[in-house]
Amino acid sequence: MTKSLALLATVALAALTGGMAHAEDIRIKLSTLVDKSAPARITNIEAAAEIMNHQFKAAGVDKHIVIESNASAAKGWDDLALENMKAFSVGQGPDLYILPHEWIGKFAEDGNAMAMDAKIASTPWAYGDILPVLWTAAKATDGKIYGIPQDAEIRMFFYNKDMLRKIGKDEAFIESLPAKVESGEFTLDDLTALAKQVVDGKAAQYGMLHRPNVGIDYLMVFQSYGVKFIDEKTGKLIFPKAEMTKALAWYERNARQGVTPVDNTAMSWDTIQNAFKQDKAFLFHQGVWAVAWQLGDKNGATWPTDKDGYFHKIGWIPAPAAEKGGKPANLSHPLLYTVNPKSKYADIAADLIALATLPYFNTEHAVSSYHTAITNGQTAMPKYKENWVLSAASPMMVHAQFVPNQTQFGSYNKVLFNGLQAVETGKMTAKQAVEFIADELGLQFGKDVDIRETASN
Amino acid sequence: MSQTRLRAHRPARPLLYLMPAIALLAIFFLGPILVNSVIAFTDMGVNLRVGQFTLLNFERIVQRDGRIPMVLMTTLIYVGSTLFLFNVGLGALLAMTTTAIPEKLGNFFRGLWLLPRMSPAVLYGMLWIWIADPTPSGLLAQVTIALGLPTVNLRNDYPLMLVVLANGLVGASFAMVILTSSIRSIPAHLANAARVDGASEWGVLRHVVAPALSQPIRFITIYQALSLMTTYEYILLITGGGPVYDSTPYALYIYRRAFENGAYAYGAALALGLMVIGVVITLLQWRLTDMRSTFAAPKIEVL
Repeated sequence: MTKSLALLATVALAALTGGMAHAEDIRIKLSTLVDKSAPARITNIEAAAEIMNHQFKAAGVDKHIVIESNASAAKGWDDLALENMKAFSVGQGPDLYILPHEWIGKFAEDGNAMAMDAKIASTPWAYGDILPVLWTAAKATDGKIYGIPQDAEIRMFFYNKDMLRKIGKDEAFIESLPAKVESGEFTLDDLTALAKQVVDGKAAQYGMLHRPNVGIDYLMVFQSYGVKFIDEKTGKLIFPKAEMTKALAWYERNARQGVTPVDNTAMSWDTIQNAFKQDKAFLFHQGVWAVAWQLGDKNGATWPTDKDGYFHKIGWIPAPAAEKGGKPANLSHPLLYTVNPKSKYADIAADLIALATLPYFNTEHAVSSYHTAITNGQTAMPKYKENWVLSAASPMMVHAQFVPNQTQFGSYNKVLFNGLQAVETGKMTAKQAVEFIADELGLQFGKDVDIRETASN
Repeated sequence: MSQTRLRAHRPARPLLYLMPAIALLAIFFLGPILVNSVIAFTDMGVNLRVGQFTLLNFERIVQRDGRIPMVLMTTLIYVGSTLFLFNVGLGALLAMTTTAIPEKLGNFFRGLWLLPRMSPAVLYGMLWIWIADPTPSGLLAQVTIALGLPTVNLRNDYPLMLVVLANGLVGASFAMVILTSSIRSIPAHLANAARVDGASEWGVLRHVVAPALSQPIRFITIYQALSLMTTYEYILLITGGGPVYDSTPYALYIYRRAFENGAYAYGAALALGLMVIGVVITLLQWRLTDMRSTFAAPKIEVL
């Protein structure tokens, strides 16, 4: 009796599970950097997968897309690029990954980034309205486009107006700063002097803080001093000694005068951000997306969340000109969605990107993480227009430049950062650091980097 | 006539018994050395691809790399001072003092000194970062502020001293444990006899205890010198080898070249260099400290 019952149960179970035969899973590995203020880089792709899964179901297709996202804890985007390169070299690369645009040349050259030109041409409903300048940032040296802009942004110096009031500056001066920077009247040295006044006036512990690791912010300052990273004609990386000496001397002076702490590059991101948020630092050099933790009660202090309240406290300026009458400099650093061409599901990954690029999804990312729009249309969307942070940032895009998409730029930038660290910590003078960088570049890149006396020759 | 014939003597098969050990050696020691040696002669860069076989990496080490002399000097200072001041000096001092005080107290202190060894490296590293933090929240800064002294920024201004301290305090426990057991194994009647003959406590230490420690100290010196030369985890955690390359000894230099710059082939070539240096130093020490006698029968009979 029990035997037949058991038999019956087994048969029933088998029939049941047979009937529920699982749909074929399409597992797509997505790699990005962990970023708690920009979760939509992942959730937009997941939402796109959801749409496709609904369509599969409606059409009776027995397939199901599963997004396996990996938010890496690498130190920064450059380290993540290295990590992914290692994964690709052993055939374990992700199907879909986010890449800072200057690495696209290297990934394309290695065959780890899929050429997207055909997809872009055949998918105008997603890509027709992307800002042309962003396509430029996604091109490798062969002229083909290898990634889809995921977001855009603008870098700036944030300055704390309350501290200027504390040291007796009037409102007219405080509010006129951006215009003076714009006209080239207020220079980088003026900025140092002002920061020094704030520190000497005991209004802040630090005059200025910047990123502790390799990135692009400091390249804005280098550009103000006339540093060029690439020879437009030959496409070769260059290292102009004279301009770099001046640029590094600015960082050196800042550290010697107590405007920047000598161990800025040994600090943690948390320490730096907390210091700015808790009114311990006058200037902070970062991107517009830093507003995500500046508003409200994050990082141990509460700041206003409304436009007037925020701008009463904080002002934004691009990197001022190096000399009076010069031009301020600004950089934008778009990220790209990139497809692994060797992936079994490369086409599906590309389709997911197309959906995630639609204005609705990208605006979700833009307004929640304070990144600027990637399409013209987005700027007219109510949700985007209502976001006062992004509207205020848009005019700053006028000066925006990009760092070159040269295949070795990422590695080259690491050496520049070493030089910056050397002068700031007082280990070298600007002149010594420039020789150090030149020596390192020669050692690492040989003839691939053209070391010049000045940018123009 | 049933004769139980003696079973033929089966030859021992040492190879069979040694197989697991040989396999481990081959996979975890010889294999990596072989792979590393091959990579050292290639141009493997960030994308881990091999384009060609070349001697360029070695040319670069010997002729072009301007960092190498400083890195070697840093290594010498770091290994030398950590080894003699802490791993041997402090270790011996701890062993002698904790065996001279009442046993329970001695055990307690030795236990305390083993704590950093037992805590995870990351935690230990973070504690040192907090100690050295120049802002008012740092431990050292709190002390200097309370005493009205200027704050020092160890991580920026004295990075090498900081990593020697951090490595030394955790490394002293090894010698402490070994030397404690050596001291314990000295028969008590030797010291008593010396005292009866009129030896002072210093004399006992000098003529009874010290000779018994010389051989274990030789072993500790070789062993710890090698281990200091090849490990860098605390340095990487506390200073990252910086500022710039100021606290980067050779082993960390290999890591930074390979994994920070993505110059894998160059890192492999540097690693071969470290192997050569390690072997040479060990052979030298073996000769100089007469290690052969250390492995001879003990002079002190353990009762």
